[in-house]
Amino acid sequence: MKKNRLQIALTIAALIIGAFSISKAISLSETRMDFNGESLFTVTNKYYYKTQENGAKIKWFIPQSNNRQQISKAALPKTMNTTASREPFNDNVLGEWLTSESNTYGELEHSFTFTGKSKHYALPKQFDTAPATYHQFLVATDFVQVHHPRIAQLAKDLTQEASNDKTKLEKMYAYVANIPTAPIRTRTDAVSVLDRKSASCNGKSRLFLALTRNLGMPSRLKGGIVLENTSKRTSHVWVEVFINGQWVPFDTTNNHFAYLPAHYLEIYQGDEALLSRSTDMEFDYTYDIQEESTVQFMGMAFQNVEDATPFSLVPLVKHKLISEKNLFLLLMLPLGGFFVAFLRNVVGLRTFGVFLPVLIAFSLFETGYGLGLLLFLFLIFLVGAVSRPFQSIGLLHTPKLVISLSVMVVIMLLGSYLGWATQTPWLSALTFFPIIILTISAEKFSNLIVEDGFGKASGILFQTLIAVSFCYLILSVKSLGAVLMLFPEVILFIILGSILLGRYVGFRWTELIRFKPLLDFKTI
Amino acid sequence: MFYKLFQIQNPKGVMGINRRNLELVYRHNHRKHYRLADDKVLTKQLLEAHKIATATTYAVIRKTGNIKRKWEQCKQYDAVAIKPANGCGGDGIKILKKDSEGNFRSGGRVWTDTEVYKHITSIVSGFFSMNSLDSCLIEKCIVPHPFFAEIYNAGVPDFRVITLKGTPIMAMLRMPTSESDGKANLHQKGVGIGIHMGKGVLTQVYDGKRYTHHHPDNPNPVYGKEIPYWEEILTLSEKTAEIFPLDYLGIDIVIDEAEGPQIMEVNVRPGLGIQLVNRCGLQQSINENLITSNLLS
Repeated sequence: MKKNRLQIALTIAALIIGAFSISKAISLSETRMDFNGESLFTVTNKYYYKTQENGAKIKWFIPQSNNRQQISKAALPKTMNTTASREPFNDNVLGEWLTSESNTYGELEHSFTFTGKSKHYALPKQFDTAPATYHQFLVATDFVQVHHPRIAQLAKDLTQEASNDKTKLEKMYAYVANIPTAPIRTRTDAVSVLDRKSASCNGKSRLFLALTRNLGMPSRLKGGIVLENTSKRTSHVWVEVFINGQWVPFDTTNNHFAYLPAHYLEIYQGDEALLSRSTDMEFDYTYDIQEESTVQFMGMAFQNVEDATPFSLVPLVKHKLISEKNLFLLLMLPLGGFFVAFLRNVVGLRTFGVFLPVLIAFSLFETGYGLGLLLFLFLIFLVGAVSRPFQSIGLLHTPKLVISLSVMVVIMLLGSYLGWATQTPWLSALTFFPIIILTISAEKFSNLIVEDGFGKASGILFQTLIAVSFCYLILSVKSLGAVLMLFPEVILFIILGSILLGRYVGFRWTELIRFKPLLDFKTI
Repeated sequence: MFYKLFQIQNPKGVMGINRRNLELVYRHNHRKHYRLADDKVLTKQLLEAHKIATATTYAVIRKTGNIKRKWEQCKQYDAVAIKPANGCGGDGIKILKKDSEGNFRSGGRVWTDTEVYKHITSIVSGFFSMNSLDSCLIEKCIVPHPFFAEIYNAGVPDFRVITLKGTPIMAMLRMPTSESDGKANLHQKGVGIGIHMGKGVLTQVYDGKRYTHHHPDNPNPVYGKEIPYWEEILTLSEKTAEIFPLDYLGIDIVIDEAEGPQIMEVNVRPGLGIQLVNRCGLQQSINENLITSNLLS
């Protein structure tokens, strides 16, 4: 009767928590991002203006989603018209805002959420000849003087010893990247960069553009913003070279070769201005950028978890009340403890302490698995050996424990110092271990040697290592931290599980061996 | 589920630690009464109050200031056992016997009063109990009945009787061996000898691995050997179980040459090795001995 009631209560509790988790999972899945972004920003472009007699016109490019960035929750001013560019091979979308109101002050806002991935490109040694349609990306302009004798000479000098296209590109890239970067706001052309000792991103990019086009590699300017957790007014320009069917990014200013970092917002292609307006109007602008935390889980990233559910621990991390790592450790304690309880009560392993295996497993993450286990054994044996003389002179238990603790602290500090002095990293890793619990284990181990002999004591030590390895395995599950953070109610499941475990009256697996003479095994 | 998977049958009703803890220890023994069994002084006070046979207490020492005075009182006796009230595994127990010249000897040498004081001080200050303080018990030294010497003539053998709700359900005789350092504990290389409860005779000898019909250090057969005072041992166990507010007990009994069966210790968490010694599970014994009651409902 009593047992039934408990079972019913447990089942109901499990169902309620389960239903809660599922409903949460559903609302969370709506905030799931389509791709696994690495960085997440909310960007608000603010434009302040005063119109003139005949109204005003402000134009700017609107960023679009592509295979490495996702733009969502875009909010444009209501009266804005957007037009996709009609030029071929140009995906630019231009926003145009018009007003006929005269002499009024106003403010426009364009906000969106950006999710970005970093992307590396592998380059072939030789590049295919670009199709004729890409010849427009080889032409010279006033600012990109592709056929200027100095550009041609430089391109020749830089690449004459290069045996393949990739090396040529590398040589030219290195030359431009080595030009010191200066915060020059004016539009700089390729040739004038050669006369200066330093150049801005747009000057360096145009020089790289001219050099690559000179060698017949189609290339174009790319404009955007390097997102940071700040308010800024500077935009950024880099170069894309068309190599074997794809546009490959090169940033000679921030030194990214065939690579685009996750926090680069791509906005437009070509030698354009990000922002343009009616001449002579009073105007100012700012880009307010805020970095948002993302939660990675099962290869998906979630944003706005707080909007989807108030019942998660994401806000704790977001508002820096606790670091993500510490939160993970905290949440893993009950889970690890549950598995140790399982190992003890169902499998029948004997371990030093209940939570010691979990805590040691944590330490293994800092030190590495194999090295960590060796260090653990080393500490246990060393502290046991050093404390031994103090045991034989006859001391009360607690003061004896203080001596062992002191020995442990001395060994750890000494190890760290020696590790630093002799450049031995594994020695300095000693301090990652939980001192007090380790001391008590070392103490128990040396007591056990006295009481039950070395063989049995080592047996328990070995079983502890098995439990440690098991905990380490569980901790290594990548998405576990995210699951616990999004579904902290898992802790309640652990309580339910522990109630079930606490009522398990079957044999421990090791008892099957102990009582083998009395049991009847009919293994299939 | 696991058991169905591997088809493990338990025809003898063997009990594992989980089941013992949940169904016997926790259900029948209230934690607040553990002290009565764990503290030998409290155990003896309770036994003596109900006139149950146990080794005569010569002195109980709780303060270091009393050591000298109390030891003087004990010096009149020929043989004493000095024990920590909360010791475990036999640690801290010293047997002192007078030689022909009237000096107390232990381990083959004379013990001076100072040495005795020192030993009692370490007991009282908790050296053997893992606690901050302990009491020291000085009691009459038991002289084992010649029955034990017929099986093996060394150390301190004792009977272990398991009682549930006042009924003895299983028993064994624990004997030291040449490898067990005078101790009779099964996990310290002592041997266990099964007991037929109804007949009061010894059965097989179990050394932790094999079953034989004789003690490992003595070829004389013990199987079927009659236990002296068996009825008294059972009665003593029943009486003891009755006065303790603990319903599941492991009672340790020795037979003194002159005084007969004496209670030595009471345990609230008796080990499960007794099942192997008797080749019988506790559950089966419970079912056989407590058929009428509905203890485990």
